Amino acid sequence: MTPEIGHFALALAFALALIQSIIPIVGANRGKLLWMHSARATSIGQLVLVGIAFGALMRSFVTSDFTVVNVASNSHSLKPMLYKIAGTWGSHEGSLLLWVLILTLFGAAVSLFGSNIPDSLKARTLAVQAWISTGFLSFMLFTSNPFTRVFPPPADGNDLNPLLQDVGLALHPPFLYLGYVGFSIVFSFAVAALLEGKVDAAWARWVRPWTLTAWMCLTAGIVLGSWWAYYELGWGGWWFWDPVENVSFMPWLLGTALLHSAIVTEKRDAFKSWTILLAILTFSLSLLGTFVVRSGLLTSVHAFAVDPERGLYILFLLALSIGGSLALYAWRAPMMESGGIFKPISREAGLLINNLILVAATGTVLFGTLYPLFLEAVTGEKISVGAPFFNASFIPMMLPLVLFMGVGPFLSWKRADLAGVLQRVRYVALASVIAFLVIWYLQEGGPLLAHLSILLAIWLLFATLREWAMRIRLFDVPFSEALRRARNLPRASHGMTLAHAGLAVAMFGFIGSSAWKVEEVVFVAPGSTIEIAGFEVIFEGVERVRGPNYFADRGTLDVFRNGENITTLFPERRYYPIAESSTTESAIRSTLAGDLYASIAEPASKDAELSGAWTLRILYEPFVNFIWLGSTFLILGGALSLSDRRLRVGAPKRTRAIPSRTAPAE
Amino acid sequence: MIFAWMVLLTALSVGFVVFPLLRGRKVPLAGLDSTPAVLLDQLDEVQCDLDRRVISKSEAAAAQQEIKRRILAAARRSTTGQIAENTGGRGALVLAAFFVPLMAVGYYAFMGSPEISSLAYADRQAERAEQQKITELTDKLYARLTSEPNGGASEGWMLLGQTYYRMGEYSQAAAAFETVTSRDDASSATFSMLAEALVSSEQGIVTPKAETAIDRAIELDPSNPAGAFYKSMAMAQKGEEAAAHALLLSQLDAADGFAPWMEAFIAQANQIARTLGRDQIALADYAPMAGGGAGPTAEDVAAAGNMSDEDRGEFIRSMVNRLAEKLEDKPDDLDGWLRLANAYTVLGEKPNAVSAYERALILLSDIAPDDPRHQVVEQALSELR
Repeated sequence: MTPEIGHFALALAFALALIQSIIPIVGANRGKLLWMHSARATSIGQLVLVGIAFGALMRSFVTSDFTVVNVASNSHSLKPMLYKIAGTWGSHEGSLLLWVLILTLFGAAVSLFGSNIPDSLKARTLAVQAWISTGFLSFMLFTSNPFTRVFPPPADGNDLNPLLQDVGLALHPPFLYLGYVGFSIVFSFAVAALLEGKVDAAWARWVRPWTLTAWMCLTAGIVLGSWWAYYELGWGGWWFWDPVENVSFMPWLLGTALLHSAIVTEKRDAFKSWTILLAILTFSLSLLGTFVVRSGLLTSVHAFAVDPERGLYILFLLALSIGGSLALYAWRAPMMESGGIFKPISREAGLLINNLILVAATGTVLFGTLYPLFLEAVTGEKISVGAPFFNASFIPMMLPLVLFMGVGPFLSWKRADLAGVLQRVRYVALASVIAFLVIWYLQEGGPLLAHLSILLAIWLLFATLREWAMRIRLFDVPFSEALRRARNLPRASHGMTLAHAGLAVAMFGFIGSSAWKVEEVVFVAPGSTIEIAGFEVIFEGVERVRGPNYFADRGTLDVFRNGENITTLFPERRYYPIAESSTTESAIRSTLAGDLYASIAEPASKDAELSGAWTLRILYEPFVNFIWLGSTFLILGGALSLSDRRLRVGAPKRTRAIPSRTAPAE
Repeated sequence: MIFAWMVLLTALSVGFVVFPLLRGRKVPLAGLDSTPAVLLDQLDEVQCDLDRRVISKSEAAAAQQEIKRRILAAARRSTTGQIAENTGGRGALVLAAFFVPLMAVGYYAFMGSPEISSLAYADRQAERAEQQKITELTDKLYARLTSEPNGGASEGWMLLGQTYYRMGEYSQAAAAFETVTSRDDASSATFSMLAEALVSSEQGIVTPKAETAIDRAIELDPSNPAGAFYKSMAMAQKGEEAAAHALLLSQLDAADGFAPWMEAFIAQANQIARTLGRDQIALADYAPMAGGGAGPTAEDVAAAGNMSDEDRGEFIRSMVNRLAEKLEDKPDDLDGWLRLANAYTVLGEKPNAVSAYERALILLSDIAPDDPRHQVVEQALSELR
């Protein structure tokens, strides 16, 4: 019965979505308040109904109800409970349900928390959001129903993929989707603004918290996925420029541009076209990502051709939403009044460069991701575009951005005083160069690009801190006074500092673990010693151990440095007999300076096995933890900015503005 | 119970649609244009920046000037661009509320499966025990058959094969049938079951080995429907769709009355017909007693497909009785009597079949002697008597 309740709730949600697609927007056009207000209740109704459906599916997974085809093919009675629950969004159908749940969540959130948004804009925004949910609910109900039943049910479920039974991976999709789908509401705001023909400071401010929320979740989702790949796949890599990763990275890049562009729209009434276009494109890339991952296009172009129904439906949705919104943009955007003018040296110009570089970088990633697919579709030739392409194109493009990022926050709006700014940053530049030379001296060797990148990362960190110090007049006034100023500084300002510094910190991790990584793949017999990055690692041998639903070959590695035993590592090769598959459990000695990362694989040959020899992969990745640290700064920076009172409540109340303006000068 | 939930959920959804109506006649005020408020806030920020000496006095003055200009512009716009707001349109919401159950129930009627109840894994102990018992019995049967000096009775192997097949162990089923195929008492059914097991174990692909078994099944008994069915499948997979289609139709044409295998044939023929661009066929065209006003509806036929053998027998019985009753009321229907006689023949009820043919014979006396039906009745009677 539970799955049927879920199925029926989904059908009801579809009906509500259809109603919400039409009535509020017609109401907004005719000035009918009642119709406009109807969107508030229906968007909450959609969330409730899709939530019931999601709960029903989750219950089916928890109780292992194999009369539900989706449960039978994606779960197993022996799975640990956490992964049964995570199985709810593990399949194509389930992940779509999660997708729609998040879509309706954002719609309902706007309905509940957007009390300051004018009725007509809110009605239009929620109607556009309902268009999207209509598209995806119909896609689900007619081609990818998660509640398809089977009777009699199979004796047990089918899937027990141990590789995917991991906490990082269980949490990765919900966060990624919160980000992906979170941009839907920004898209809806943009389309609604185009329909309404009005984009102004207030609009930009209403959109900002939603953009920030989506951006933070997307960041968290990408980082979780990267972290999972790092410790679970056994290769010691954290980014592979794999299409699945790229499709989540592209909305992040554009979302970052959008975040900055919206500030210009808010503060200077400029960049309206930019902001609207970025909002449309960011969500379009999220849709493209969903399409590429969900249509089976990635496994093979041919797999897509064999079962084209789903792929074609989603392609149709994609064409409709992207094509429709861009057409609307082409039609309405030129009518928007242009805002404040600015000089070539100004904060606006800096953010324009930011937009341009991020868009160009996104284009590069898009090309590298889609080109192999097009080539295979047209000529049948299979090529892979990997790290070399992206390292040669994407990274050189991003480095100038880092240079500008350091200066940007110093620039004032409209017309900046270049000489003044240069005077402020000259000591920062000097300090960066000195720090860089010290590092170069300590860490000789490595590619030139890496050294250049390190220099830029140091520059970004120092410049960001300098700018923050300037704002609170650190060292300029007594410390207590500076502290008071720091407390009074808007949280959004602290957020920017934290996020920009976070990127600098993460860059140390990116560069260190890529350019100065040391890797050894060796055949080892018990007693073998490997020397790597100043460590002495002794392979003690492998023993067979039993886990709850697997058995494993566990290697023992004693790690010495300067003759002192600092740790023992236990990398494992696990075998899951029911699923008939193996996983690599790497062992990592983690410090801020770098990770010593070890994984073992099957003996190289039969003879080697008899003699007790194994294949040992051992890596030293300097600074790799700075990636996670820096990413955490990015997310916290976003959170801090989001918690800024002015954003949380959207537009401030008039009453608050008056006393603060009459407050004595600091 | 499920329907109570559906009513509850529908009521909830309707509630969400009509919610604005429930709040009485008073409609909340439209939100004010908050652009000036945002701009005022920006003025504060400029002041703060100036206080922090982040910007110079002249920069601050220019920024404040600009923001003030925009406040004026926004104020002007909000007084001129006011749309007349009205509160009508209650009817549309009520109409939309009706649409909710209509749409959801309409969809669910086609796509839902309310008849299947939930079945948690933990509640399926009995089923697993049953499964366990069948597995044990099968293992025992296998052990006994292999231990017997003559290699085990053919009936035993056939039973074992069919059990394996039902358990989804297709390759083991094929192995069991194969034991029998090399023996003298191998029948057409032995080979067609082997073919079926081989095809199932290859996920529906007819391998050369399976085709050999199919050919042998047809050779032993050309009328074995399973032989013809898998032959057509093999042909279709080799690209001989037209021949496969023709084979299925000829078997259907040759059939006397309704038989359970016909549905599978028709489904297969229709599937092939779609690739060939030919017309679709229906069961009623081939099962004579299914024709006429008293014939089974499409739902009856679909229902028959889901029935056990026993239920299906009863179903056919009821169809025949219905036809017989109809003919008692309208005894002049010659074709009806022929269909009834045919049905009785299929059911093996000779005396009833003979009396039905005799009724037909009486009606035939008024019909031209070169009508083919004379011959049909005479031949049938001579076979039955």
